[in-house]
Amino acid sequence: MIRFPESINAGAALLAEIEKRSGQRLSACYQCGRCTSTCVAAFAFDYPPHRLMRLLQVGMVREVLASRAAQLCLDCMTCSMRCPMKLDVAGVIETAKAVADEAGLKDSERDLRLFRRGFLNNVRRHGRLHEAGLFFWFNLRTNNLFNDAGLLPPMLRKKNFHFVPPRIRHRRQVRRLFQQINGRQG
Amino acid sequence: MLGVFICQCGTNISATVDTGAVAAAAAGMRGVAHAESIQYTCSDPGQAAIGAAVREKRLDRIVIAACSPRMHEATFRRALERAGLNPYMMEMVNIREQCSWIHADTGEATMKAVDLVRKAVARIRAHVPLQGGKTAAVRRALVIGGGIAGIRAALDISAAGIPVTLVEKSPSIGGNMARLDKTFPTLDCSSCILTPLMVEIKQHDHIELMTNAEVDDVRGLVGDFQIDIRRRSTCVDEEKCTGCMICQEKCPAPAPDDFNAGLCQSKAISVAFPQAVPLVASLRKQYCRRFNGGKCRLCQKLCPAGAVDYGQEDEVVSRSFGAVVAATGYGHYDWTGSYPTFGKGLYPDVITSAQYERLLSASGPTGGLIRRPSDGAEPRQVAFVSCVGSRDESAGRPQCCSVGCMYTAKQAILTKEHIPDSQSYIFYIDMRAGGKNYEEFVRRAQTRYGAIFIRGRVGRIFPRRGKLVVMGTDTLAGDQVEIEADLVVLAAGLTAAPGAGELARKLNIACDETGFMAEEHPKLRPVEAAAAGVFLAGACQGPKDIPATVAQAGAAAAKVIGLLSRGELETSPMVSAVNPSRCAGCFKCRDVCPFGAIDKDRLADGLVTARVIESLCRGCGICNAACPPGAISLNGYTDKQLLAELVEVLR
Repeated sequence: MIRFPESINAGAALLAEIEKRSGQRLSACYQCGRCTSTCVAAFAFDYPPHRLMRLLQVGMVREVLASRAAQLCLDCMTCSMRCPMKLDVAGVIETAKAVADEAGLKDSERDLRLFRRGFLNNVRRHGRLHEAGLFFWFNLRTNNLFNDAGLLPPMLRKKNFHFVPPRIRHRRQVRRLFQQINGRQG
Repeated sequence: MLGVFICQCGTNISATVDTGAVAAAAAGMRGVAHAESIQYTCSDPGQAAIGAAVREKRLDRIVIAACSPRMHEATFRRALERAGLNPYMMEMVNIREQCSWIHADTGEATMKAVDLVRKAVARIRAHVPLQGGKTAAVRRALVIGGGIAGIRAALDISAAGIPVTLVEKSPSIGGNMARLDKTFPTLDCSSCILTPLMVEIKQHDHIELMTNAEVDDVRGLVGDFQIDIRRRSTCVDEEKCTGCMICQEKCPAPAPDDFNAGLCQSKAISVAFPQAVPLVASLRKQYCRRFNGGKCRLCQKLCPAGAVDYGQEDEVVSRSFGAVVAATGYGHYDWTGSYPTFGKGLYPDVITSAQYERLLSASGPTGGLIRRPSDGAEPRQVAFVSCVGSRDESAGRPQCCSVGCMYTAKQAILTKEHIPDSQSYIFYIDMRAGGKNYEEFVRRAQTRYGAIFIRGRVGRIFPRRGKLVVMGTDTLAGDQVEIEADLVVLAAGLTAAPGAGELARKLNIACDETGFMAEEHPKLRPVEAAAAGVFLAGACQGPKDIPATVAQAGAAAAKVIGLLSRGELETSPMVSAVNPSRCAGCFKCRDVCPFGAIDKDRLADGLVTARVIESLCRGCGICNAACPPGAISLNGYTDKQLLAELVEVLR
C-alpha cells in the first residue's frame, strides 16, 4: 500500500536529484502510456516505462532504482520521441540507473551492472572494445569461466578474437571524452 | 470633495497590498474628504458604502482602487449614478491585475498602490461631468456562419422581429452538424433535428440567406456596422436553378466531395448534398474543364432551367447592421503531419472520425453501410484512437477537444448496431463525460454494446496481412496491447475554422492562443467579443458539443435582441471635442483620423474650423496628438488631466 504523505516524503530527496539531473519534471506525466506502447524492451521489464514514471511521481523512488527495468532499458529513446508531454522518459530512466549505481543498490541485476562497468572501463582503456579482455575479466569476476565459451571457436575462425589489445590512434581523445562525460554527470 | 475607496477583493488584493495603509495614505492627499478600505467594493454592501459616503460627506468625485476597469468600470459607473453623481466623475485604479497579482513583496506593492492612487487623485480633480449621447441603431443583425450555431442564432433573433442576414461561406447551410449521423447522448438522428431548421431559415420572412458568401470588409461600430459581403460566383443563377442535379450527373470533371470528408468524389458542378439549403448547384472553377482550357459546356447545354452562366462574377453587397454574431464553427485537425507513426494518411483504412461519421450515415457514400475504404469489406474489429492532436504538447496542441470521448463512444455504439458481430476497442486516456446523461451513455457503450475501453495511448499503427496492427498500452493492466484491426478511426482534435483568424481581424476581435475567438470574460461576458456589438456563438469560441452550441447561440441572440430592441444606443462621451476659438482650420486632425470622424464647420463669422462627428469618433485620441494649436481634446483625457497625472507619477 502506498501511504501518503509518508511515501512522498521518503522519496522526495532522491526524486529531486533525478529531476535535477535529468532536467525533467515528473509531474508533467499524465500516464497516457504512450512510452510503454512501443517500448521494445518492456517484455523483459518488471515495470513498464509508464509505471516507472508513476512510481517516481508517488515517491516510490527506491522501487525504481532497484528495478530490473532501469537496468534493462536499452536507451533507444523511442519513448522520449513519442511522449506527448515532451518528457525525456529514457533520460529519466538513465538518470535513475546512475543514481542507483551511486547509491550502491546492489541487489538487482548485479551481473548487468558489472558487465556495463567492465565494458566502459575496457573502452576507456583501449579506445575501442577489446573482446578478449572483457570476456576473461567478466567471467573471472562472475566465477563462470566458460560463460559464452561456445562463441570462441567461430570468433577465432573469423579472426574476431584478439588476445593482444587493439591500438587505435586517438586513444587519448576517447579518454578525454570519458572525462568530459564524467565531469558533466558529477 | 473627493472620495477614495480601496478594494480588498477578498484576499486578491489584501494578501499583497496593505489596503488599510493605502486608505490611510489616501486620506492625507489633497482634496480627499473620505478614504476607506472595503472587502468587496463591487458587492451590494460595497456599493452601498460608496452611496452612503457620497451622501454624508457630499462627495462629488470618486477614486476606486480595485480590479481592471475592463472588469467593473461599468458596475461602478452605475453605482455612482444611483448615488446621484455623474457616472463619469469616477476614476478606476487597477491595483489587482497590475499590482497585487504581479508583486510578491507587500511593502513594494503597497507603495506602488499608493502611487497609483495619488496619480488618480490628481487626475480626477480635473474631471468634469460628461453626458453620453444617443444614436439610432440599425435594426438588422448579421450572422456569420450557417452551422447549427448560426441557424439557431438567426432564428432566435428573427423571432423578436429583428431582420437577420445569414452569411455562409459554403454552398449550403448546415455546417458540421449536417455531416453527422446520430448525436450523443440521445442517439437522435442529426438530420432529423437539423434539416427542418435549415428549411425554416430559407422560408423565414425576416431572414435573408446568402450562401457562397463571405465578409469582405467591416466598417463602423456597434449600432451601425457597414459590412461588405462578397458573394462568390458559382456560375449558377440561384433563382433559376431547381436542384435537379442533371448537371452533376453529366459533368465529366471529378472534384473532391467536401461534404463526405473526401471519402468519395463529386463533380465540378454539383449540389453540396441532397438535403442542401438552398438546393442549388454551384460550379467550382478550379475543377471545371471549361475554366481550365477545355471546351466543355455540357452543364449549360443540359440545364433545363437555363441557370448556368459562365460569365457570372463575384458580387459585393453592402449592408448596415446593428450587431454581428460570429458563428464560424470549427475545423478538423490535420493529424497527418504530427503522427508519422500512424502512417501519415498513407493507409486507407486509418480514417478520421469525421470520415467514419459519413460511413455511418444513411446519406453517406456507402448508404449507411460500414465499408472500409481499401477493399470495401465490412470491418469486424474496429479500433478507435482518442486524443489525436489533443492533449499532445509534442504536436503543439495541449487542449482537450471536449467532444472526442463522447462521439467515440457513440460511434462504437453505432458500429455494434450496424454490424452486430463486430468488436470495438476504444483507446482513451481519461473518459470525459461531464454533460447531462453523458456518463450513463458511456457506460451503456461498455455494458450493453460491449465496447472494450483500453486506458492508454496508441504508439504505432502499421499494416500486416491486410489488417492494421495497433500497438498501444493498457495502463490499468500495466501491459502493452496489440490489436489486429480491420479499421482504425482516429478522433482528431478540433481547431478553429479555416479563415476564422482573418474574420476576427476584420471584426476587430481577439483570438486566443489556440486560434479560437476570445470571449470578453468566461463568466461575466461569455458571448461578447472584444468589439462592442460583436457576439460569439458555438464552436468558434472554443470546442463544444451541440447542446452547448445551441445554448450559446440562444444567449448570443438574446444579447443582440437586448442591444437592438430599444432602437437606440447610448454613445460614450469619451469622444474628441474642438475648441473653435483655438482651431486654425489646418485639418491635420482630419488627415490622421482613422474613422473619418472630422468634418468641416463654418462659423457665423465665416471662419472654417474642424468639427467632430460624435457618432463616428471612437475616442482614440490621435487627433489630440496631431493638433498643432492644441484645439482638439478628448473628453475625459484632456491635456490638463494627463499632465496632472504625469506630474504625480514623476514626483
